[in-house]
Amino acid sequence: MFNLTINGMQHDVEVEPDTPLLWVLRDAIGLTGTKFGCGIGLCGACSVLLDGQIARSCTMAVNAVANQPIITIEGLSPDGSHPVQRAWVQESVPQCGYCQSGMILAAAALLKRVPQPSDADIDGAMTNICRCGTYARVRKAIYRAAALQADSLKRIADAAGELS
Amino acid sequence: MRYRKSQGAPPPITRRVFVGAAMTVGGSLVLGVNLQAQEGGESRATPAATTPRLPSAFVQIGEDDSITIITPAVEMGQGGHTAMPMLVMEELGGDWDRVRVADAAAAAVYNNPLFGMQATVGSFSVRGWYRELRRIGAVAREMLVQAAAEDWSVPIRECTAGNSRIVHGPTGRSRSFGSVAARAATLPIPQEPPLKPRSDFRVIGTSPPRGDIPAKVNGSACFGIDVKLPGMLYAAVKSSPTLGGTLASFNDAAAKPMPGYHCTAALHDGVIVVARSYWQAKKALDQVSTVYDQGALAGWDSAKVSLTLRQGFNEIGKIARHDGDVAAALAAAATVMEAQYEAPYLAHACMEPMNCTARVDAAGCEVWCGTQSPQAARAAAATALGIPRERVKVNTTYLGGGFGRRGQADYVAQAVIAARAAGRPVKLIWSREEDIQHDYYRPAAAIRFRAGLSAKGELTALDCSVVTAASSAFERPNLPPTYTGGVSDTNYSIPNLRVCGVNKDIGVRFGFWRSVNDSHNPFMLEGFIDEIAARTKKDPYQFRRLLLQHAAAQRQLAVLDLIADKAHWEQRRPGHFLGIAAFESFGSYIGSVADITVKDNKVSLHRVIVAIDCGVAIHPDNIKAQLEGGMVYGLSAVLRGEITLDNGAVRQSNFHDYPMLLMSEMPVVECFVVPSAAPPGGVGEPGTGPIGPALANAVYAATGRRLRSLPLSKHNLTVSAVRVS
Repeated sequence: MFNLTINGMQHDVEVEPDTPLLWVLRDAIGLTGTKFGCGIGLCGACSVLLDGQIARSCTMAVNAVANQPIITIEGLSPDGSHPVQRAWVQESVPQCGYCQSGMILAAAALLKRVPQPSDADIDGAMTNICRCGTYARVRKAIYRAAALQADSLKRIADAAGELS
Repeated sequence: MRYRKSQGAPPPITRRVFVGAAMTVGGSLVLGVNLQAQEGGESRATPAATTPRLPSAFVQIGEDDSITIITPAVEMGQGGHTAMPMLVMEELGGDWDRVRVADAAAAAVYNNPLFGMQATVGSFSVRGWYRELRRIGAVAREMLVQAAAEDWSVPIRECTAGNSRIVHGPTGRSRSFGSVAARAATLPIPQEPPLKPRSDFRVIGTSPPRGDIPAKVNGSACFGIDVKLPGMLYAAVKSSPTLGGTLASFNDAAAKPMPGYHCTAALHDGVIVVARSYWQAKKALDQVSTVYDQGALAGWDSAKVSLTLRQGFNEIGKIARHDGDVAAALAAAATVMEAQYEAPYLAHACMEPMNCTARVDAAGCEVWCGTQSPQAARAAAATALGIPRERVKVNTTYLGGGFGRRGQADYVAQAVIAARAAGRPVKLIWSREEDIQHDYYRPAAAIRFRAGLSAKGELTALDCSVVTAASSAFERPNLPPTYTGGVSDTNYSIPNLRVCGVNKDIGVRFGFWRSVNDSHNPFMLEGFIDEIAARTKKDPYQFRRLLLQHAAAQRQLAVLDLIADKAHWEQRRPGHFLGIAAFESFGSYIGSVADITVKDNKVSLHRVIVAIDCGVAIHPDNIKAQLEGGMVYGLSAVLRGEITLDNGAVRQSNFHDYPMLLMSEMPVVECFVVPSAAPPGGVGEPGTGPIGPALANAVYAATGRRLRSLPLSKHNLTVSAVRVS
């Protein structure tokens, strides 16, 4: 029995200790937004945020991740309003869409770490494989998300300034 | 457009109540005619001229004003769920926000008018449905207008439709589509209502937001792999390592004690293990020992494949095209050039590994999967179970990539066998290793070219011998070969031109891979044309222009001129080298220029220009997305895509040894869509082909090295993208 904190909710799951987090999320808990792509941590379709860091859940045994908060694509925002999700819609990024959960979480992790990323930052962080070839739009959407995020932060700061 | 595709496992409705189900969901139903009447005979072509399609199979309007468009094209990222509704809505005059999209069941009414099969392949969806779906939208509009006019007792000609309402001009009265839907359903169906002239288009040519995108950014989009049924078990599968091998025996004693183990099912060429979870199934499968009869491909490696293809150059095969007299022209030529080109097997590597969920009981079978061909899925399930097709229901989900792979239904057959063995619903999922090693590969191919040049350096003759594996499904003894496309249909004006096709099918199973022949044949022809230009000391762009001066080549010429202009062909930057390629592809004209610098075998790809003339542009932004995506798919293959054989088994297994292009490697791509009034051409396929020849020709311009085989990684070259931000 493992106790996991996923998207702010506690889950008790009965699985073998070597079960990858990916399959716990998908089969045991029913969060199927996290995708299976390669099983060896190369494609990034299975990416989740583990304690705020991007992590590939297909190679991560469940017994190694208990006690660390996990965010999946379903939990990135309650209503699809995370700046990265909004930017993804505005730039029409997804084609088949299968890799996009991982792409979006990788972008969200990047923007948290580097709010105004350069092309090199993006190249370094975005190592997910997309067979439809959405790379150009992913890049554009990350820049747009960075602007949306900065705008939101500025509005919060302005509001705080007015209050004080 | 709001998009409310049903998510998760669709309700288990049968086709019999398909129309009725829509009625209960959406209130009354316009044009409520019997879909069943058009469900038989799926394999026969049903030309629209003789069998008008019933509009209710494509558009249903509820009393709540909802508009459900049932799309004959599946959604695999190419935009089928947007383009198909756009065609209907152009004529219907409905409100975009009310549109819902549903995938079609397997039924002959959804056979593509161009080729008579229900399949989302070959960039055929818009080409095949462009007129027919507009006609159906117009039929529905006419019936709604007539119903409102009769209700008001006014002449039909005084009424118009728009924004989901019918308006009576003289009085300004209006009614919603939904309020007259029930009455409209009782009216006779007009067959050939007038269609708008192109100048009146309000939907076609715009780029409405794709309705499938919101669900694809929050994890809720349901792909085949996400389907869940009550009581469902999971299955893992492993097939014979040697392609074409058959299962001789297996021992699953060590699997049975594994956690969650449920059962084992033998296939003719592999073994399936079913368990409570996928991970348990996969681990238990690892414990099954197997013995295979290796079959005819044992002993085959890639060197033998290559040798076999090249031996085909000595055979005549079938003549695909012969203009003039090639033999005489070559004999009279002052100079004869010869070159051989080659391309390897390729796997599709859809991001979503093959999978299917199945439920089998005494009544029949129901499957859920991403498929490019619901009819192929139905046939595969029926054949595997030995039951009539009518007892199989196919539910199509989103596809996590198709690229031609999901036109095959081998994974559907496996899933129903697993479900029958388990006695419970089963979701069968392939590993990535299984996906790479048991694909229907892009066939390896080779071409030998011979060109005759006059003493003045004019191209007088071109002889092409195309050798590859030919699909028995498409080859006919008395018809020219299909696999010479990209060479035999060239628009270049060459007085003596012969193209021969030689079939060397050695038994490696193969299929359609994004852009099919155009993924390799234009690489070879455009390379050799470049060689001729170099030998005759002509500029590669100007040489192509010379060969495209006739009337039938004007659209290709325009694309060629456009890409040369956008790439600054005449004023290239110092130290930069350009390569160009353009050809006709799937009814469109496509071309590309690669802009590179080279230092010590290191190629820097600075930018790529790509342009398409695809006729009337339905959704310009999606056309650009397809060009961008095709460029990635093509460049990934050109740089290092290669499936090789060792003793009849595929050497590659996953993304470490079948690597894909990453974001950091993707050059800047500038896309151009040529304004055109011509009938629509293909869009999903053509973008894959041009980067290979454009890049190889640029490398020649820079280094003098002619790259005649793929992938380019075999030539001791590294290629990296240069980004200027």
